[in-house]
Amino acid sequence: MSKIKIASALFISLVAALGAAAGPSHDLVLCVTFRVPGGLTATALPVPLPPCGLHQRGTDNRFTHFGPNYPRFNNLARDPRDPRVLYAASLNGVLCSTDGGEVWRIGTSWDMTEPRDVCIDPHAPDHIYLALPDGIAVSKDRGLTWPRRETGLPDRGKYMQVVKVDRTQAGRVLAGCESGIYLTETAAQSWRRVFTTQTTITDLQQSPHDAQLWLATTQSDGALRSRDGGRTWEKIAGVPAAAALYNIAFDATTARRYAVASWTYGILTTEDGGETWSERNVGLPVPHRVFRLGIDPDNGRLYAGVYEEAVYESLDFGRTWRSAGFEHSVVYNFVFLPRFANSPALAHLP
Amino acid sequence: MIARLFLIFSWALGGAVILLAQPAFVGPAPSRAILPTPELQRAAYLARIDEILAWRSSQAKPGELFPEMTMIATKLALHQDAELCSRSVIALMKTPASGPFWMFPTVNVAFLGRDQLSLEARQSIRKAWSREMQIRGDTENHWVMYYTSLYLMAELYPHEPGSSWYSGKSSEENLAEAKAYLIDWMNLATTVGQGEFNPTHYIGEYAIPMLYLATWAQDPAMRLRGKMTLDWLFADLAENTLNGVLHGANARTDDISVIERGKALASFFSWVLFGNVPPIAAYGGWGIYFATVAQNYELPEVIYRIAVDRPSDYLQRDLKRTRRRWRNSDVLMAPIYKTNYTRRDYAVGSYQGGLADPIQTHVWDVTWDVPDPRGVHNTMFSMHPVSSSYDLQTYFAELPDQMAKEVTKEGKASYDSPDKFLGGSRFEQVFQDLDTVIALYDIPVGTRFPHINGFLSKDLLQLTVDPSGWIFAQGGSCYLAYRPLAAYQLRPVARVKSSMTGERASLGDQQLFSPYLKNGTIVQAAAVSEFKDFAAFQAAIRALPLSFQLATKPTVTFQTLRGKVVTCTFGAAPIVNGQPFDYTPWKLFEGPYLNAEKGAGRLTITHGALERILDFKTLSITDRVKL
Repeated sequence: MSKIKIASALFISLVAALGAAAGPSHDLVLCVTFRVPGGLTATALPVPLPPCGLHQRGTDNRFTHFGPNYPRFNNLARDPRDPRVLYAASLNGVLCSTDGGEVWRIGTSWDMTEPRDVCIDPHAPDHIYLALPDGIAVSKDRGLTWPRRETGLPDRGKYMQVVKVDRTQAGRVLAGCESGIYLTETAAQSWRRVFTTQTTITDLQQSPHDAQLWLATTQSDGALRSRDGGRTWEKIAGVPAAAALYNIAFDATTARRYAVASWTYGILTTEDGGETWSERNVGLPVPHRVFRLGIDPDNGRLYAGVYEEAVYESLDFGRTWRSAGFEHSVVYNFVFLPRFANSPALAHLP
Repeated sequence: MIARLFLIFSWALGGAVILLAQPAFVGPAPSRAILPTPELQRAAYLARIDEILAWRSSQAKPGELFPEMTMIATKLALHQDAELCSRSVIALMKTPASGPFWMFPTVNVAFLGRDQLSLEARQSIRKAWSREMQIRGDTENHWVMYYTSLYLMAELYPHEPGSSWYSGKSSEENLAEAKAYLIDWMNLATTVGQGEFNPTHYIGEYAIPMLYLATWAQDPAMRLRGKMTLDWLFADLAENTLNGVLHGANARTDDISVIERGKALASFFSWVLFGNVPPIAAYGGWGIYFATVAQNYELPEVIYRIAVDRPSDYLQRDLKRTRRRWRNSDVLMAPIYKTNYTRRDYAVGSYQGGLADPIQTHVWDVTWDVPDPRGVHNTMFSMHPVSSSYDLQTYFAELPDQMAKEVTKEGKASYDSPDKFLGGSRFEQVFQDLDTVIALYDIPVGTRFPHINGFLSKDLLQLTVDPSGWIFAQGGSCYLAYRPLAAYQLRPVARVKSSMTGERASLGDQQLFSPYLKNGTIVQAAAVSEFKDFAAFQAAIRALPLSFQLATKPTVTFQTLRGKVVTCTFGAAPIVNGQPFDYTPWKLFEGPYLNAEKGAGRLTITHGALERILDFKTLSITDRVKL
């Protein structure tokens, strides 16, 4: 990608951010599926269910389904240059749209299945990274082709749950795998392991306040922190490690607030940069099997997807909760996409 | 995801299929007489197909739309009620479903209806394939169904743009992708081994798409591939059946088939192909989709004879493979070494233990012949019941905690039940020598369900708990000796009646419950005809030298009834007559009936003077009669 294109993309992103300053600067999209209450065997035939797939929050705070009625999206990424260009990690592979989600194309072929995550390099938006159960594919042509880029990853242990691009440097990417955290600084030409685990890394996040600060969750090693851009990692004391942690999020509105989701522990929060942690589950269903959480970067609102129960939201960082709908759902991701100025959030919305 | 596919699975089966009397299902067990000529074999095959179609057709309610696809497919196959079929298709296509279980029935109707359905009906199918995103699924059988369906539809509607397909890809792109997958899958299955091998019910998910490919593919090479794969699957089925009943190890089975061995979709295929066992109720639902096109398949006589004509005992050793392991394994797919020893009155089958599939594996059993398998629990085995997020994560790209819960709700209701009889275990190691099986268990402390379950059928005769520690019994014309290596209790078991609902019923079987982590089972089978009486069999077993210890690594040394001295130690190679037993030289198939070298893609099917060679490298079938 040329320097001119990169500059152009950054300019558009900047304009987008400035243009949205008056209102929310992010779109929220839920990757969600719905389950028949009482289990599938409650009925012999399909019963009416809300459409599964992608649900976007509108300006009226109501959610609208778009895209296919499809049971498994793990993440959604949007081209920072063009709000109509979307990439979704789905059961079938990566789904690509160039019209804001009306029409989709399965971008990958038969030899890639069940990608767990997808992300775009904001400094090289033609580059899209796709985390796979057996490694990683990287498209450098806006999703037209998906070659594998696995030099440096082990033959086994490269099950990849999460992939995230460092927003400060093109081609710098962190990947969470079965055997640890891997880093590339060459747009996946080569990878090196920067942290070793026995079981899977479940999430990686870069701080919106400090680009050198990264957090990770794991299945059996608790929560991790890196203060040097992901080169080295340390365990965060005070976060339990006996059971799996599912994901972690920064509060973009308050620098030292993070939250962790866990099937076992529910919601864990810190407001002092990880020094102390609290369980914040009062008001959530019991058992509080939190499958996914998200923090709205515009207002710090905390969302919890409680497995097969509903989505809950908290305006006070987990001290109290209220239902936000989506009964009988499983939320695979709360996706906050930077909003574009003077353009509809996604093409399907009026 | 699995949830959605399960719903569509129900849809495809036609949840409303009414269990009206089926001639072959309610009638007497079929004769085991061998039909001497290919012409008679073919006539009998076609008569069975006719029975299926007539039965399904007779269930139509006059004047009403057909509510699901098996009925439409049946009517189209019979060239009946085309106008009503068209209206029914249009109605069903208003709410198209998603996934391979929707795709292949729709393909069936689309092709059978090419010259019968109205233009509007055909367009409704085409439109459904345009607008409804189809779920590809996450297992091998899903992908075979999905890509066969996509392949055929892309051929049926060539030169159409991506905007007219749910995938966003043009007809040619869809065709190329589907073809690439199918060829890759066939190459894998015919060189490394089949993944979902010898399934009791998933056989339909493979056989039906391959029949459609063999029938409707325009590309003659793909048609031939479909036919050759069908031959391959059915030869494997024939080898592993005992008078039509699939026995021994299965990559995937269910709570019912694992106990009542004849109650499996595999029995439908044995019935329709070989005519030597009753079909299951409603022909398993899936059988109807096969029947509508089945006249286009011609069963080679050599396969028919393997199924029905066994002049002597035989030992067959086959190489298979596990499902893909995403995590927790040094290999993506581990080899499965499968043994089948079949005699006139019983068969013993096994593989070396471990998990071929995370949920529905069956590792070993002795299955005895019965004149009519309906309602008979004609099998004996032991197993370690596993419920483990670790094991599920090995095979599924999922987070750890919800999976067991989801599995139990999605058609595998017994998964988290301690008294189940379904499933393999990493903590089980099995060795078989002819009709002797030694199963050892070394279960870590802290494992959920720290016990083993032995299955003692209600249909065992003369069940005797002997002071020697052996349990003796008779099943049909087979004597059985079962030696638990640790203390146990016999408990009545409420057997799972439905894998879908988990409904249970006490049918008289017993669970041999042994709550010891270091454990083991020895089973020795023999024919009743080998002994003067039951007492003589017992005396012979008691006299066999046996020693074992369980304190550290479970270890057994046993002299089998056939004179071999076998030593098995958990975690080590078995030793037979002083020599370590080496699995690594095993071929893809080796035995009197099926033979294939590893990696060759070439199967030789033999019975007497008859021989058929399926060569996937040259895409050729060679028949000959040996002089």
